[in-house]
Amino acid sequence: MTDTLTTTSDLAPETERSRIASIAIHTALITASIVMLYPLLWMLSGSVKDQNEIFGQASLIPSQIDFSSYIRGWFGGQVTFGRFFWNSLVIAVLCVIGNVISCSLAAYAFARLSFWGRNFWFALMLGTLMLPYHVTLIPQYILFLKLGWVKTMLPLVVPKFLAVDAFFIFLMVQFFRGIPRELDEAAMMDGCSPWRIYWKIMLPLSLPVLATAAIFSFIWTWDDFFGPLIYLSDVNTYTVQLGLRSFVDSTGNSDWSSLFAMSSLSLVPVFLIFLFFQRLLIDGIATAGLKR
Amino acid sequence: MTLTINRRAVLMSMAATLALGTVGLNRAKAATSMRFLWWGSKERNDRTFAAIKQYSDKQTDVAIAGESFGWDNYWTRLATQTAGGNSPDLIQMDYRYIFEYARRGTLLDFSPFMGKALDIADFGAANIDSGKVDGKLYGVNLGVNSSMMVFNTDAWKEAGIEAPKDDMTWEQFGAACSKLTATKKRRAFYGCQDASGLEPALENWLRQKGKALYTEDGKVAFEAADIAAWFEFWAGLREAKACVPPDVQALDQLTIETSMVGLGKAAASFAHSNQFIGFQAINKEKLDITSYPRVAADAKPGHYLKPSMLVSVSATSPNKDAAVAFVNFLVQNPDAAKTLGVERGVPASEKIRAAMAPTLDDNSRKIVDYIARLTPKVGALPPPPPNGAGENSFLLKKVAEEVAFGKSSAKEGAAKFVEQAAANIKRG
Amino acid sequence: MANHIEDSAGALSAGLRSRAQETTVYKAPTALARNAPGYLFLMPWFIGFFGLTLGPALVSLYLSFTDYNLLQPPTYAGMANYSRIAFGDDKFISSMQVTLFYVICSVPLKLTFALLVALLLNRGIRGLPVYRAIFYLPSLLGSSVAIAILWRQIFDGDGVINTLLWQFGIEGPSWISNPDYSLYTLVILAVWQFGSPMIIFLAGLRQIPTDMYEAASLDGASKVRMFFKITLPLLTPVIFFNGVVQTIDAFKAFTPAYVISSGTGGPIDSTLFYTLYLYQEAFGYFRMGYAAALAWILVIIIALFTAFSFLTSRYWVHYDD
Repeated sequence: MTDTLTTTSDLAPETERSRIASIAIHTALITASIVMLYPLLWMLSGSVKDQNEIFGQASLIPSQIDFSSYIRGWFGGQVTFGRFFWNSLVIAVLCVIGNVISCSLAAYAFARLSFWGRNFWFALMLGTLMLPYHVTLIPQYILFLKLGWVKTMLPLVVPKFLAVDAFFIFLMVQFFRGIPRELDEAAMMDGCSPWRIYWKIMLPLSLPVLATAAIFSFIWTWDDFFGPLIYLSDVNTYTVQLGLRSFVDSTGNSDWSSLFAMSSLSLVPVFLIFLFFQRLLIDGIATAGLKR
Repeated sequence: MTLTINRRAVLMSMAATLALGTVGLNRAKAATSMRFLWWGSKERNDRTFAAIKQYSDKQTDVAIAGESFGWDNYWTRLATQTAGGNSPDLIQMDYRYIFEYARRGTLLDFSPFMGKALDIADFGAANIDSGKVDGKLYGVNLGVNSSMMVFNTDAWKEAGIEAPKDDMTWEQFGAACSKLTATKKRRAFYGCQDASGLEPALENWLRQKGKALYTEDGKVAFEAADIAAWFEFWAGLREAKACVPPDVQALDQLTIETSMVGLGKAAASFAHSNQFIGFQAINKEKLDITSYPRVAADAKPGHYLKPSMLVSVSATSPNKDAAVAFVNFLVQNPDAAKTLGVERGVPASEKIRAAMAPTLDDNSRKIVDYIARLTPKVGALPPPPPNGAGENSFLLKKVAEEVAFGKSSAKEGAAKFVEQAAANIKRG
Repeated sequence: MANHIEDSAGALSAGLRSRAQETTVYKAPTALARNAPGYLFLMPWFIGFFGLTLGPALVSLYLSFTDYNLLQPPTYAGMANYSRIAFGDDKFISSMQVTLFYVICSVPLKLTFALLVALLLNRGIRGLPVYRAIFYLPSLLGSSVAIAILWRQIFDGDGVINTLLWQFGIEGPSWISNPDYSLYTLVILAVWQFGSPMIIFLAGLRQIPTDMYEAASLDGASKVRMFFKITLPLLTPVIFFNGVVQTIDAFKAFTPAYVISSGTGGPIDSTLFYTLYLYQEAFGYFRMGYAAALAWILVIIIALFTAFSFLTSRYWVHYDD
């Protein structure tokens, strides 16, 4: 079902050459993988080292293995790290839902519907990608303060339901435009409303890009530090990123081993989400039979 | 279409419920509730929360919520909250920033509370004045510190050279550092850091020569010739291999873990005394403290005692009396002092220091002893730095790096520094 | 599931294409009815744009004409900020140079790696999900404080890279703390995080219909020809997207420089990215008005570049509609 693209090498009779090519490719990939994995290994190694070993040397092998940093990191603060994980999870899931829904609605409008001013609104939408956030930070903070949303997670979540992430709108527009228009036109013949076309045709055929948007949305929300920094004040509502920063104070004592331990742990949910959604990326929907 | 709106409404209300749910806490509704913001890491947080608990146990109608961050993000958060009119009641302050905040009217003036709710007379005039801006008291001293040299006793012993001690001269120190580098007992290991870009080091040196960084009325108090001499002095140390080369010094980003001693690249670094505990924590070898070397045996005092941090109250706080009472508790209550320890600095109050003496661990004792040794020899507190002074400390680092990397000469660098420093002050 | 949709979509289109030749396209009667669907779908975006984005953006535009120290209300300053940027600010010029260099170096490299690896992984080799996850890992670690320490340990005078070079008898400098080389370490950091555009390329590759490849290979086309005649043209919308977005992101890059240089932009401002400079002005020196002016200059520059990209895209981007 999934390997529709692997058949090309079987068609050619040069199996010997393709085997060497395959070995070469795998070697290259494995070497590259080691380079990619090195930081994770380094972090894991740092998490079991004693703090005063982290800075002097770059070796991966610790002189003794000490898992106490995990305990310290998890239980050490005023609030257990589990609470931070839960907060981050709630916020991230809500943001994913919000982004996927609102951005796909907007992208459908930009990609498929014609209406007065479409290009103008599209340009404005792209414009929102260009503003560095440090500058709208203060006015937005004051706005949320007046709405009474500061100290809650609302400033972090509600904007996602209002399609403020132009990146995803733009991404989906590009993908929607890759789906042949004949499907829309045929459905319109049948009397389908734009909503039905959106729901029954565009979305199912766009699962790869929706999955991509979901993955990125989750990861970026999980990694977002600045938003929680200024909007969450109660330590019980902190996210993982805020919790991680509390281990390090450049002017005083820091607990680096715990930082590495909790950073490593915080990769786990992200990785799981990635593995879960990437099945949708594997099962790419081939749109056979529709080419002119 | 209607389907969309309904679904979205459901989701929105789910979101709202979840949000409100996570906000709700199991805290009893106290008569007074305040927020206290400080920077620090785990150890300081633990100690501070314990002190807060001690206070709430005694004053059951006061609830204090503690918020803490690392230094790097602290000021962004505080500035954002203050700009939005949402600043915390109690704010841990730094000597550099208190002027900015106080002069713009965001902090409470403690003067009316002095002698009544706030009883800090035994701090001594110097320690009280260190929190004053334009004559009014805006910050209460949370800990006294001064500049220090932190050095690696094991490395010096290994090289067979006498370790640095108080009242050494710069010449002796420079010579000792060169000798240490020359013993080559460790790979790529030098005597000391290159402090040409370190503002406290420059200030100490200028003060010993009877000058200063800034004048009373907020102008630059040094000349290009002074700075050129400073840069040339360090160029000499670099040439003699007494201090680290420029591309190693550039690794130092003014944090403990990127210092030359922290990275294991040199046997001596310069920092602030209350950071000693942090230095020892990341270093396997034994460290010790001493003061900056002297320019000449009879030079003026270069050191001064300054607050490592202060605590202030927001001018817009609705709980001013309760906040001041808590401040008094933090600095004058012996139990609180024991809980807080010396990791914020040595307590300014004489009687608190005496009460704490028996409970100190080795590292803390070294700091307290250092301050005690230094106190009779310190000079007066310098005048408050003008606006733009913070920018000048980064400017010094940048120009010193240019000179060290050979991108400009000592004289050119000095002229540039003086000119831009004055411009920064004027711009404010 | 895939086959089901394929079949039904194919049948639908084939069956109805004949009908299209018989009837004319239905057009809605009034302008309102024609425009309504578009506006209704855009409703969430409108609320977000007008409610949450436009307001703060306009406020920041206003602030760029003021002196605003965050702690006191802003005071009007006219064109002072902008004229200082134009005539009196060395750091503006140097940070712009640093940022441009970063954009020009990192974006093409990053996209090239992303595309190459995506093509490799798309061949359906064994272990694809594992490789994909591994290559995406660096992007997950990117904003971590730990990266600064790691990067230093790799790139400093005694770091991993120099140890490797030493095996070949080369004595490398301290890459990360030498102003002549420090920016390259940040470029490498950016390129190392090619996972995001790679994922997007993979999704794009997955959308290319397989029957085109089958038909072409039956015709005797070589793999290289198929790449240039089928894959690349059909991938152009995605290449365009990645190109525009990565460039905008590179202009706005903040976290790498902030984390690696601890917010100093050193040594000697060699890693002072434009937005890092902006951040220093806003939150380090309490000059929010000036920072706002810097931000809007950046917006104009990015907007010019993006407009240029869109205008020239019609010559090489191949959409199916």
